[in-house]
Formats: sequence, structure tokens, C-alpha cells
Amino acid sequence: MRFPRSIRWRLQLWYGALLVTVLCGFGFTAYHLEKSRRLRRIDEGLHSRLSLIVDGLRAGPERSGEKRRPPELRLTPEQASLFGGAEGYYYVIWMQAPQPIQISSAAPKAVPKPGAREEQLRVRGEFRETLLFAAPVNCVLVGRSIATENAELRNFGGALIAIGAAVLAAGLVGGWWLVTRALQPIGEIGAAAARIAEGDLSQRIENGDSQSELGQLANVLNTTFGRLEALFAQQANFTADAAHELRTPVTVILTQTQSALTRERSEEEYRETIEACQRAAQRMRRLIESLMELARLDAGQEPFHLEKCDLVKVVRDCVGLMHPLAAARKIAIEEEYSAAVCRGDAERLAQVVTNLLSNAIEYNQEGGKVWVSTHSKEGMAMVKVRNTGAGIDAADLPHVFDRFHRGDKARTASGHSGLGLAIVQAIVHAHGGSLNVESEVETGTFFVAKFHAEEP
Amino acid sequence: MRILVIEDEPDLLAGLARSLREEGYAVDTAQDGEDGLLKALDVNYDAVVLDVMLPRLDGWEVLRRLRQHKKTPVLLLTARDKTTDRVRGLDSGADDYLVKPFDLSELLARLRALIRRSASEARSVIDLGAVQVDTAARIVTRDAVPVVLTAREYALVEYLALHHGDVVTRTTLYEHLFDETDDSLSNLLDVHVSNVRKKLGPDFIATRRGHGYSIEA
Repeated sequence: MRFPRSIRWRLQLWYGALLVTVLCGFGFTAYHLEKSRRLRRIDEGLHSRLSLIVDGLRAGPERSGEKRRPPELRLTPEQASLFGGAEGYYYVIWMQAPQPIQISSAAPKAVPKPGAREEQLRVRGEFRETLLFAAPVNCVLVGRSIATENAELRNFGGALIAIGAAVLAAGLVGGWWLVTRALQPIGEIGAAAARIAEGDLSQRIENGDSQSELGQLANVLNTTFGRLEALFAQQANFTADAAHELRTPVTVILTQTQSALTRERSEEEYRETIEACQRAAQRMRRLIESLMELARLDAGQEPFHLEKCDLVKVVRDCVGLMHPLAAARKIAIEEEYSAAVCRGDAERLAQVVTNLLSNAIEYNQEGGKVWVSTHSKEGMAMVKVRNTGAGIDAADLPHVFDRFHRGDKARTASGHSGLGLAIVQAIVHAHGGSLNVESEVETGTFFVAKFHAEEP
Repeated sequence: MRILVIEDEPDLLAGLARSLREEGYAVDTAQDGEDGLLKALDVNYDAVVLDVMLPRLDGWEVLRRLRQHKKTPVLLLTARDKTTDRVRGLDSGADDYLVKPFDLSELLARLRALIRRSASEARSVIDLGAVQVDTAARIVTRDAVPVVLTAREYALVEYLALHHGDVVTRTTLYEHLFDETDDSLSNLLDVHVSNVRKKLGPDFIATRRGHGYSIEA
């Protein structure tokens, strides 16, 4: 069987079973209450008439002399009218013999004399009878037909079943509607997920009711889908950018070699061609190394040797290495150190500082200045690097850490891959730190790297 | 033919310029968008090779500003190969489009086609009676016999052939045959004209005194 596997059918089955149980309980109780109410009324009628008969027998004259004669039943006309009629009460009176001595007109034929040990109340087919073994006769029985009551009860039972069936049908239809309504978002979620699985990541679940449980689920899924789409787009962009960055050096190699091979060249020309190819290849190597490093940082595979790390020493060493580059561009580096210790990988932190410093020197005016400082404040150890460069446009500022982002949208002959700051940021984040940038056009740019401080 | 190459990668620029010069073109170069635009507006180039990613002014902007003044054929070089980029390039006024990395031979062929088209010459072989100029193979034949010409001489013949029937002034010839590194005040042009006449017949190039030179159709 396949259908009970669907939630809709299972819910419907449970719902139906529950409804049937409740309705049966109700119907059964109602039927029996009604039945016992009617019987009680009949029994009351029977008992009152029985005592009438017994009293009527005893009220007869004392005839001690004629002991063998049966006593006479005396009833007032009023009392007599209680028998027969529409309700059909009857009485039968016996002495010792099985033949009754007196039978009322409404009595059915051949009412058998009850045995001595018979119950006080007996049901004989369509008749209900109460009896009493009492003097001065042997046995008095009062009965009536309960055919009408039985028929009415059957009608009542039938009505109960009909009402129950109607309620069950209405309940099942209502339940089906409710289940369908409740499950509708699941269908929509499934359809949207299927469309996304087919590759259309821009699909979203249509969500009218964001308060219900399924609505909330749909919201969560939509958020997830959105994030996935953004990630895929970012990945696709990254791949396109990487391919794009590789195109230029490949073009250089193709153009240079194809041009050189068109004819015989002097040794000097061959040398120039080979040097150009070498530069292009170096550029590709730098790009590939940067890409690999970023990929490892992204995947969290880059091993970090975290230990107590004196930022003052790290920065001082880096500045020492940068002096030739700064001197070549006639740039003065001003240093200002106060204690700053953090937990980190000294080599990686040096990479961060070197990158920030070389950027500060490179994107600076000739004869400009670079300020570098360390200090601790509010539990953070900081490195600040500031320069007197051309600054970064406000529009570009949020994108300086983006991969392959470059200020003026063009390759520069310096061979920067456009990944330097992205790598720096990834390293700082891997240390649990933060990297911020502020810039003012024509004034300079200011980078702050913050790490959690350690006790010196 | 005089061509301007605007490209910021120095090794690529040098390689392109060398190849184009060896093909007989006069080549000017620019390393950024601003310089390139100035030169393109200043000189009537036969074609401009324009990289899209440039410092100072990007290729789109150079193209846009150039198109406000001139119809110089432009071949765009770009590293982007999405259809939208190609459509944008052609829609903003580029005459052709080449995606990096490209083969040098394809670049040269596309340049030849561009120049031919801008001179309203659909075929690559120009028939001038006894003399035929094959602009694809860069060969000039006289009575079906190939004639050996230097690159400059060929360029002179090709330019006049592409404009056959018209009078081409000395200034125009100077502008299209010599690049910014040549000394345009020299009498090099007269030397080339005289050499071509020796090889292709004294009447091949007619002198219109006071106006310039022409090849009769």
C-alpha cells in the first residue's frame, strides 16, 4: 500500500479513527440513556399498576368459609381505565393451577404462568411484564407491549447513526481541507527546492504566512538559498577574475613568442623576448601562489603556529626590511611603539605588516611619509599604518578587501595581483582580529589591524 | 598605414608594436587612456588597437570620447569574454573585438580587414590594371610577377591603392606612413615614391603638383 505513506493520508486516517471513536462513544451513551429512561418509565407504570391489582384483590370481602374460592378483584372504573387503552397494560392472575383465574381484556393470548423462581421483571418477546407472588392469590402479573418503544428506540438509534455518519463525513472533508491547507507550504517548499536543484538558484519559496511553523521554515530556507546563491556568484566571479588575471600574461607570452618567431632575430632581441616571457610567467606564478594561499586560508587548512607574539618586535623587523623600498621612493617611515602583545603566528603577522607597509609606500607620493605604530587599548593590541598617498575614493573604500579589486580598475605594471589585501584580511580574521581602513582623497589612507591582547 | 596601440602592459605593448612595425605599419604607442585619447584625437590613424582595462581612463571612456569626434576604426582588446561585454564593446562604437589571449596572426588579419573596410574595399586584392595589390598576403604583382618592395614602399603603394582615383596629399601620406618616432621633415617620402616608380613603372604614381600623389583607377 502506497497511500498511507503520505503524511496527508496518515493524518486523515488518524483523524478519521479518532472521530469514529468519539462518535461511537457519544452515540452509544445517548442510545442507552434514552433506552433506560424509557424502560424506567414503563417499569414505574407496571409497578404502580401491580400494586393496584394486589390492593384490589386484598380489598375484597373476607370469605373464610369458602376457602377454595378465588378472591374477587375489585377495581374502581378509574383504576380499570388504567388497563387497556393506548398503552395496552394488562394483568393476569393465577391461583395454584397453571390456568389463570382472571385475565384483563388487553392481555395477549396464552400468557404462561411464571415459575416460582422467576425474576420479578421479565421480558417476553415484545412484552414487558412484572410479577408478584403474593396472597391471597398465587401470582399476579402486570405487563404491556413495548413494541412501540422498541420501534421508537430503533428509529432513535437509526437517527443517531445517520447523524454520526453525517458528522464523520463533514469531519473528514473538513480534515482533508485542513490537512491540505496545512501541507500546502510543504508542497511549495518542495517545488522551489526542486527548481533550485535543477540549477536555478534565484528561485525562492513563496511565503504568504511567515508566522506559522512552516512559514518560518520557508523563511529559514529562503535565507539559506540566498546565501548559497551569493556564495555561488562569489565563487563564479572569483573564478572569472582569476581566469581574467591569467589572460594578460598569457597574451604577453603568445604575442612575444609569435612575434619573435616570424623571422631570424638578433641575440639581443631573443633575450628581450625571453625576459618578457619570464616576467609574464613570474606574474602568473605570483597569482597562482596568492590564489592557493587564499584557497587554503578559506578552507582553514593553513597551519598557524599560535604563540605569544610581541607586535613591537614584528613591526620593527618589517620596517627594517622595508627601508630600501622606502628609500628608493624617498619616503620617510616614522615609527612609534608602545607595548602590544597578542597571540598569533609571528610569521603570518609579519606578512600582514609587510603587506600594509609596502602598500603604504607604493601608493604614496614621492618624498611622502609613512607612519607606523603599535599600542594596546581596551584589551586589543593594534598595529596602525598611515600614509600620505592619493587616498581611496569613498566609492571604492568598501571594496578594498575584495578579491581582485583595484583602485583604478586597471592592471598596474607593478604586477600586483589584486589579492594582497584580501590575503591580509583573511590572515587577520584567522587570528580572530579585525582589519579596518579609513581614507581621505588627497590626504592619505589609514589601516588598523586589531588583535586580542595578551599579558606581556 | 599608421596605427595607435593603447595598452598598459609594457611587454605586450612592445611585442605588438614590434610585430606591427615589421608588417610595415607606422606605430604609435600609449600606456594609459589619457595619453591614448590625446594621440587618437590628434592624428588621423588608420586604426586604433585599444585595451579595455587602462589606468587613468578606461577603454570604454576612451572609445566614447573618441567617437564624439572621429570615426577611426577601433579594435578592442579585452580579457572579458562574456557576450554582454562583447555586445557592449561593439555597441559603444568599437569596429571589432578580440579577447585575450589571442594569436598575433588573428590580430594582424583583423587589423587588415578593418583598414580595408574603412577604405570601402571589400576584397583583399586591389586590381589596378597591370598591377595588383594583395593586402592579405602583402604582395604586389606587376603582370603577374611579384615585385619585391620594402615595408615602407609597400605601405605607400597600399595606401595609394586603397584610395586609388583620389589625390592624396603629402601631409596625409606623412601622417599615415610615418609614426611619431620618424622625422617627418625629411624627404623620405620622395625617396620612397621614386623607388616605387623604379619598380612598378614611372607612370604608376602620378604627381599632382601642389596637391600630392595619386594612382589612376
